[in-house]
Amino acid sequence: MGESVTLTWTDWQAVAVPLALAIGAVAVLLVDAFWRSATAQLRHTVVTLLTGAVILFGLVFVWAQRDDFKPAFCRPAVEGPAECSLVFEPMTAGLWAVLLIGGLGVVGLSAYRLLASDIPVGEYHFLLLSALSGATVLAGARDLATVVIGLEVVSLPSFAMVALRRDRRGSEGALKAFLVSVLSTAVMLFGISYLYGVTGSLYLTTIANRLAGLDPDLERVAFAAGLFVIVGFAFKIAAVPFHAWLPDTYVGAPVEVTAFLAVVSKSAGVAGLLVLVTTGIAPNGSDLRTVVAVLAAVTMTVGNLAALRQVEAVRLLAWSSIGQVGFLLAPLAVGDAQAVVGYLAAYVVVTLGAFGSVAVVQRHRPGGLLTDYRGMVRSEPGLAVALIFFLVVLAGLPPGLAGLFTKFAAFQAVIDAHLGWLAIVMAINVMIGLAVYLRWVAELFRLPADDPFSVDIESPAVAMISLCAATAAVLSVLPSTMFALAT
Amino acid sequence: MNAILLGILALPLLAALALWALPAAIGDRLAALYGSVVSGLVLAGSLILWPWNDGWFAYTPDERALRAATDVPWIPALGVRFHVAVDSISMPLIVLTALLVFLCCLYSLRITPRIGRTRSLIALLLVIEAGVIGTFSAMDLVLFFLCFEIVLIPMWLVIDIWGDEHDPAGRKRAATTFVLMTVLGSALMLLGFLLVYRQAGTFDIVRLTNAPVLGGHGIPLAAAILIAVGLAVKVPLWPLHIWLPDAHAKAPTVGSVLLAGVLLKLGTYGMIRILLPVLPDATVTIAPYLAGFSTVAIIAGSLACLAQTDVKRLIAYSSVGHMGFIGLGISTLSPAGLRGALFANIAHGIITGLLFFLAGAIKDRHDTSDLRAIGRALYARLPRIGALLTFACLASLGLPGLAGFWGEMLVLLGAYDPSDLLPRTTYLVLMVIAGLGTVLTAAYFLRLVRNLCQGDPAEHPATAFAVDLSRIELITWAPLVALTVLLGVWPGLLLHQWGNL
Repeated sequence: MGESVTLTWTDWQAVAVPLALAIGAVAVLLVDAFWRSATAQLRHTVVTLLTGAVILFGLVFVWAQRDDFKPAFCRPAVEGPAECSLVFEPMTAGLWAVLLIGGLGVVGLSAYRLLASDIPVGEYHFLLLSALSGATVLAGARDLATVVIGLEVVSLPSFAMVALRRDRRGSEGALKAFLVSVLSTAVMLFGISYLYGVTGSLYLTTIANRLAGLDPDLERVAFAAGLFVIVGFAFKIAAVPFHAWLPDTYVGAPVEVTAFLAVVSKSAGVAGLLVLVTTGIAPNGSDLRTVVAVLAAVTMTVGNLAALRQVEAVRLLAWSSIGQVGFLLAPLAVGDAQAVVGYLAAYVVVTLGAFGSVAVVQRHRPGGLLTDYRGMVRSEPGLAVALIFFLVVLAGLPPGLAGLFTKFAAFQAVIDAHLGWLAIVMAINVMIGLAVYLRWVAELFRLPADDPFSVDIESPAVAMISLCAATAAVLSVLPSTMFALAT
Repeated sequence: MNAILLGILALPLLAALALWALPAAIGDRLAALYGSVVSGLVLAGSLILWPWNDGWFAYTPDERALRAATDVPWIPALGVRFHVAVDSISMPLIVLTALLVFLCCLYSLRITPRIGRTRSLIALLLVIEAGVIGTFSAMDLVLFFLCFEIVLIPMWLVIDIWGDEHDPAGRKRAATTFVLMTVLGSALMLLGFLLVYRQAGTFDIVRLTNAPVLGGHGIPLAAAILIAVGLAVKVPLWPLHIWLPDAHAKAPTVGSVLLAGVLLKLGTYGMIRILLPVLPDATVTIAPYLAGFSTVAIIAGSLACLAQTDVKRLIAYSSVGHMGFIGLGISTLSPAGLRGALFANIAHGIITGLLFFLAGAIKDRHDTSDLRAIGRALYARLPRIGALLTFACLASLGLPGLAGFWGEMLVLLGAYDPSDLLPRTTYLVLMVIAGLGTVLTAAYFLRLVRNLCQGDPAEHPATAFAVDLSRIELITWAPLVALTVLLGVWPGLLLHQWGNL
């Protein structure tokens, strides 16, 4: 197009966080590669602190700018307002906060002695920060090219992380994740090319404007194109029926990487879909929103039903995370960003805590069965109470008020949008979901246990799990903080 | 005043947390003593709070009817406020809750389930107490829903851990059925609340009562049906009662007492507090159906009782019948019917609480609750317990002069003369059928008394440890017996509270 690109100060501000994360990624890689003289412990600690510092910088930046509206990389449009590629607005601030908190949690869970020693520290943190950088770009993206790039930058590091432990299960999981990732990108690009063909633009706002005045024949093409884009994302967030890769990948990866997939990778996918649905391809009243609603109903039902039958902790969390995504898709289908971000916030905190607790048990009992948790309420009361709290938050029952109120907000969004049938499906899924988590809680309470789990828990794990529990408790008492994230 | 209400809400919760913070090794007696002191304080607080002369706020525009109000914003983004207050329909139920929890803790001083872990049992009872009192005092729909849900997991644990020790699979199933059905019901109820919010723009029960959601079809009707179904699971109304017999039969004694005495009342209270005033027109539309299901519950519950061979299941099914009467009373929408329902709520809590204590005592002494295995001739073997059982059965079947009579009589009176908006003929038919139900009730209770208490002692030799009424049993049951007689001879004590109804 021949226009000269000059970066303005606003552009730099809007892109500061992804940029910092990317620079941090390179820095940790270099530190790990060129500082071989240090002991493993020192190197790991420095890398952890460096990564944490970069993410904390991002969080502080987001906090300072939370009320701002910064359109970046804009160009004047032929008609209508300027077209921008990246927009920092309150919704972006909320999504970034959730993503960064999730990343910080994963870094904490991967501290020295927690991360398996055969995983290369530098590469691990490099990949984590790169993915986080992509995730933040994705959450702020306002044109389809940026969306695709952001999504790829999240995905490529993700399955590399799954493969970091070079055993058969890890390789199998990584290969599945890789194939799905490639497939989903292909499907999405196909859809995007048609959207571009129909509307003549890649900018979401322009697409939204032009979709409104499309002639009926092209409308059908646009619908199909939007469908392909949504299916691409559905693969990424493992919405049913595009979920088959997820359980094996979750089980194959190291628990810390699984936590990363469940928290950062999944939130990034949801964030991208939220951006697409609210600002571009599926305006209010679009059939595509109905598609997302159907996807939500099917996803939560299948995920929860399958979770009911799992006997391994990680598999149960994997399937129940599919159920949780279903619940996330419900307010997303009606374009309620506040409910989505609130739900994500609670989900991220307690999922980190749950995976942290599972990691503790799994380090000593690699079997990972639910029966390994029997009687823990007596033998390991602190960990058991924290885990029970995380599970009831996921189930959405008192005392887990953070989960209850985020589910409540999802219900409210759906009811306000007159989707009664979806609300009924959600109500039934609250019941199934409760059954899923109660099975686990029952094991924790069961006494007497033959061989109760009791170990000296590593202090970084204690710190992280306590932090997650404390955050979840604060969110439970003051639920408005979650909903303030995106307003 | 509002400090007292907040106190009796917060004290049990904090006390439960403090109890869990103590080491697991603290003695069972000490834990029960701690629970008794805490629940005793709550009982004292609730008695101080009792409003002696104010009416129901819905029928007296005077704001004074609502006492001890605390109203602060909680989650502005969702329109949720922390609003609690009490009036004359919630207060007796709060006192009943406090009394039953206190008696359960007292009972646990001596008699606890064999599995032990009394510390956690007491803590869970206190959490349940806080949840129930919270439900009875919530003046915000979301807060009501929240407190409604607080009870679920503790009660699930009580049944799952301390339930029938002979049948681990059965008690697990009973606990899970209970918690899943209730949570589905409350989720549907929440949908109803959200529909109300969409129509009225507020969750505040006081504001909704003063400016109700009118209209008997469309959204208000959908909201009323969802709320009614959610509450009906809790009541439980036929055919949503299937969780009840197992849950009551498998629960430990204190669990059964609280389930029957207190938790079932959450449903009927919710109908009176929310359904009637907030959705008046839609309630008129569904009231005949509610009445029909209630009447079926009366008959089905009574018939099921006739077929029971397990004393705890029999009492559980009798609750279905009695709660059917309360449902019928509410669905007449008439002053007499509502007063009858409110009175029967309290009477059922006291009498069935006593019945479950007695059933637990008989079960502990024989290590089974199967009527055939227990054998007959309780009058000869355990004369005092046998006499008390007969007393409680008579009270429950509605003998005039005891507490069970007035509620059911008022309900039938209400059904004879229902609200003008309702089809009178239907209600007359239902009244006759319900009257038949009272006869059936008498039949199965008398059959129970005959099969359990009477008979030749020579055929059923006393079991080795069959001690008659112990001192702790006397102490815990005496208040219930006294209240049964007191409310029987002086029903006005409660009824005049609802005089403005």
